[in-house]
Amino acid sequence: MYLARVEGSLTATRKHPSFEGWRLVICQPIGREGRPEGVPQIAIDSLGAGMHQRVIISSDGSAARIAVGDPKSPVRWIITGVVDEVSPGTTALEDSLS
Amino acid sequence: MRLGRVIGRVTLSVVVPQLEGARWLIISPYPREHLQNGPVPPEGLSADPSLVAYDSLGGGLGDSVGFVEGREAAQPFDVAPPIDAITAALVDTVYYNPKPVTPAS
Repeated sequence: MYLARVEGSLTATRKHPSFEGWRLVICQPIGREGRPEGVPQIAIDSLGAGMHQRVIISSDGSAARIAVGDPKSPVRWIITGVVDEVSPGTTALEDSLS
Repeated sequence: MRLGRVIGRVTLSVVVPQLEGARWLIISPYPREHLQNGPVPPEGLSADPSLVAYDSLGGGLGDSVGFVEGREAAQPFDVAPPIDAITAALVDTVYYNPKPVTPAS
């Protein structure tokens, strides 16, 4: 699982049917100080994570397949939690970036 | 799932039986600095290595696609074929608003 920051979203009309109705969110994995590390991943989101909020994303395909309710779905990354933060964009541990 | 731009196609003459008649796209993945924003894919290749993905959605040259890598790529089949990347979405528009990174002091 990665600590990541929500940095965008995307629309795709033509996609695997299991993605229908799911928010496709661009999540940038970040290090402890909030510094980006690695490639942005697209995760499905049902928790309503807002822009620049920190989330935990998991690449456990089976949990994602259960979430979308399709055992044949290629979905992989799913937002499993939103990090507790004082105000959107920062964390309980002060975000040295902002 | 990652995003990338379709930069080519591959046709195979000899292939394992499960993959006969498959469609293969060469994709140049988008790293953070080169990610699409808006409806138009960014020009040029990215620094990340390109890859070949099984295509089930009909991605065309120059399109932005979302592709899934790893074990999940072989999931949408009755018999799991030997693939580890598959296109899962044809991207329409991207709303990308990365938080500015202050250089390490």
